[in-house]
Amino acid sequence: MRIGVFICHCGKNIAGVVDVKELVERASKLKDVVYATDYVYLCSEPGQKEIQEKIEELELTHVVIAACSPKMHATTFARAVKGVGLNPYLLEIANIREHCSWVHHDKPEIATEKAFRLIKAAVAKVRLAEPLEPIKVPLTRKVLVIGGGIAGIRTALDIANGGFEVYLVERTPSLGGHMAQLSETFPTLDCSACILTPLMVEAAHHKNIHVITYAEVKNIKGIIGNFKVTIEKKPRYVIPEKCTGCGDCMDVCPVIVPNEFDQGLGARKAIYVPFPQAVPLVYTLDLENCLNTQKLVVCEQCYKACGPRAINYLMEPQEIEIEVGAVVIATGFDLLPIENLKEYGGGKYPDVVTGLEFERLLSASGPTGGVVRRPSDGKIPKRVVFIQCAGSRDPEHGCPYCSKICCMYTAKQALLYKHVVPDGEAYVFFIDVRAAGKRYEEFVQRVMGEERIVYLRGKVSKVFQREDKLVVWGADTISGMAVEIEADMVVLAPAVVPSKGTADLAKLLKVSVDEFGFLSEVHPKLRPVESVSPGVYLAGAAQAPKDISETAAQASAAASKVLSLLSQKEATLEPIVAHVDKELCIGCGLCWKACPFKAITMVREEKREGKKRRRYAKVEEAVCQGCGVCMAICEKKAINVAGFTYDQLSAQVKALLEDE
Amino acid sequence: MVIRKPLNLAKFKVPKGRVIVLAERCKECGLCIEYCPKQILEYSEDYNEKGFHYPVVKAGMENECIFCLFCQEICPDFAIFSEKEE
Ligand SMILES: Cc1cc2nc3c(=O)[nH]c(=O)nc-3n(C[C@H](O)[C@H](O)[C@H](O)COP(=O)(O)OP(=O)(O)OC[C@H]3O[C@@H](n4cnc5c(N)ncnc54)[C@H](O)[C@@H]3O)c2cc1C
Ligand code: SF4
Ligand code: SF4
Repeated sequence: MRIGVFICHCGKNIAGVVDVKELVERASKLKDVVYATDYVYLCSEPGQKEIQEKIEELELTHVVIAACSPKMHATTFARAVKGVGLNPYLLEIANIREHCSWVHHDKPEIATEKAFRLIKAAVAKVRLAEPLEPIKVPLTRKVLVIGGGIAGIRTALDIANGGFEVYLVERTPSLGGHMAQLSETFPTLDCSACILTPLMVEAAHHKNIHVITYAEVKNIKGIIGNFKVTIEKKPRYVIPEKCTGCGDCMDVCPVIVPNEFDQGLGARKAIYVPFPQAVPLVYTLDLENCLNTQKLVVCEQCYKACGPRAINYLMEPQEIEIEVGAVVIATGFDLLPIENLKEYGGGKYPDVVTGLEFERLLSASGPTGGVVRRPSDGKIPKRVVFIQCAGSRDPEHGCPYCSKICCMYTAKQALLYKHVVPDGEAYVFFIDVRAAGKRYEEFVQRVMGEERIVYLRGKVSKVFQREDKLVVWGADTISGMAVEIEADMVVLAPAVVPSKGTADLAKLLKVSVDEFGFLSEVHPKLRPVESVSPGVYLAGAAQAPKDISETAAQASAAASKVLSLLSQKEATLEPIVAHVDKELCIGCGLCWKACPFKAITMVREEKREGKKRRRYAKVEEAVCQGCGVCMAICEKKAINVAGFTYDQLSAQVKALLEDE
Repeated sequence: MVIRKPLNLAKFKVPKGRVIVLAERCKECGLCIEYCPKQILEYSEDYNEKGFHYPVVKAGMENECIFCLFCQEICPDFAIFSEKEE
């Protein structure tokens, strides 16, 4: 055994605290270590080359690299050692940056000692390492995209254009997501529908895309390369293949209810399309508001009016089973409910509206045809107060983060308001204006320079009603004055939160979420569109608040990851899986009960002459995630996770604890 | 919760009917009153020739019939129907 130890300075990140020369000297004395050295940046091209050259020159059999977190560069270094023929599982990384120099920068001596122990532990562990080969499994060349907003549509199109089949599942009756609700988009003021609708139509007509609307993912089993998905299609009570989208049913329907798509500012019938450009253009009967119930058909107006007889009051939910090799989650966002914003009169005064409601009022296809009107009395508001950061950057509302899009859309809305009400006045309360995007600052500057648009830096303390006006009390922190504005309408920019159901979906797919419920990526810089669950990718606002440009970019990135997976012959899995020692296993089944992934089955031995057939545990390698729960529970030490065996971990712990 | 009325209600038309009751045919089975989806019917104060209370449209709900014709369909005695109002 010939072990080489390579210690990285990481510039000053490590070497500024830890005494690397001392580490080299002490490491070279460890058992089986034949070479130890330090280098300024091991991850750099010459750094990797140095490692490769020494492996060849000194015929190293095992390598320890003491550097940053393996989360950062494990793959980089694995590739480097593999390049010169060393099995990458004979490489061990000691994290002496995040786990040492960064956290102990004020105690360099202790840090050096800890760094040495970490290296010593890594050497102890690698001495017992075995070479491993990746596990190959067959790959289903189809993809599931969950969420039919701009993120889901973009991802689906990119994958489909690459030649693979995509199932695009959307919860509501139409594709489009929030972007379909917007009037015009910053910073170019393109009409939102004009950019989006063609993409929706393209997706619907693409020969590789199956658009499944008004449906939800009910269950997902399996792993990268081979997921089994159950999709539940809610009953539309209209047969899609027959509906021509003529709308005759809607004309005769006697039930009028608020339209969710218009945020309740417009109406719809009980049989409806959410908006005229909906894709697919198939009507949906909403049984909750229809005069009929599951048991009793009272009204048949739409049935009688429908020429092609597309309506079926007895439709049942339908389950579809599909198999895919990869999943993209693009479930988008919601806004913090307006009722949570009581200090601004949210949920109390009808003329306190959200940004999304204001988009519907500005939209030419909205309930007012693009004329801004007050919800209370339909009058055109002459003075509008915009309040940014309504809930965002505010720990009290559980959203200490910046929602990122509000500064920009508020500026846009103030400008669009001035376009439709030229003599109107707009006041914008802001904490800071964050306009860090291409041409964003220029856009905001242009809005700020408009006549009768006034930006006030400060927070609003209270909004209340006085006769038919809304009184806004705030502080202008620049002049240091308290301000009172009598407004006709108040527009809030509520915090962006993950869309309803994200948590359940994350659980189903074993994807982690951050403390606010947004889906987590593996690494923000190195693997920004991959979830921790292999084969599951992220796109759009489900991962964090973002605007359309960023969403589209991330969606294409997710698609490219999927494409590179699907262009492989087989799916490759990490060989870090559990192995059973049949001789030691007594077939007690403890691990079988404990395994969270159901990777273990209990089987009986083949016939043995004269002897009883023994029961033992068997691991399905393609299902095992290498979590190690089985290993911890086994009383006989009969099950071990490759690369992290009981002996390896014991040696590691022992090396950490013992003094020299 | 704010109860906001949609701003474009005027654009939405619903069919309207006028309920006509043939009081003398009614035998007070009550099906129409029970099942009218808009609940616009109630029993009359007075009796018909046969001695039954027959359905009448509740005061103030004269414009609420939506012409679904369910009453017409379930009435066993053909005693109620609705006429489309244009
Ligand atoms: C008021 C306002 C104004 C804005 N103005 C602009 C602008 O001018 N310019 C700009 O660049 N950006 C703007 N944005 C931001 C823009 O809306 C987002 O960037 C964009 O909508 C994000 O797209 P998405 O597909 O990730 O999410 P979404 O648009 O939220 O789409 C997600 C889709 O997934 C569906 N879904 C959710 N859960 C499930 C599930 N479990 N199963 C199946 N389907 C599901 C939803 O129904 C929805 O259709 C604005 C946002 C707001 C709120
Ligand atoms: S009348 Fe029939 S075909 Fe026309 S939109 Fe309604 S369900 Fe579809
Ligand atoms: S059956 Fe329901 S959806 Fe159809 S017209 Fe009557 S109320 Fe409307």
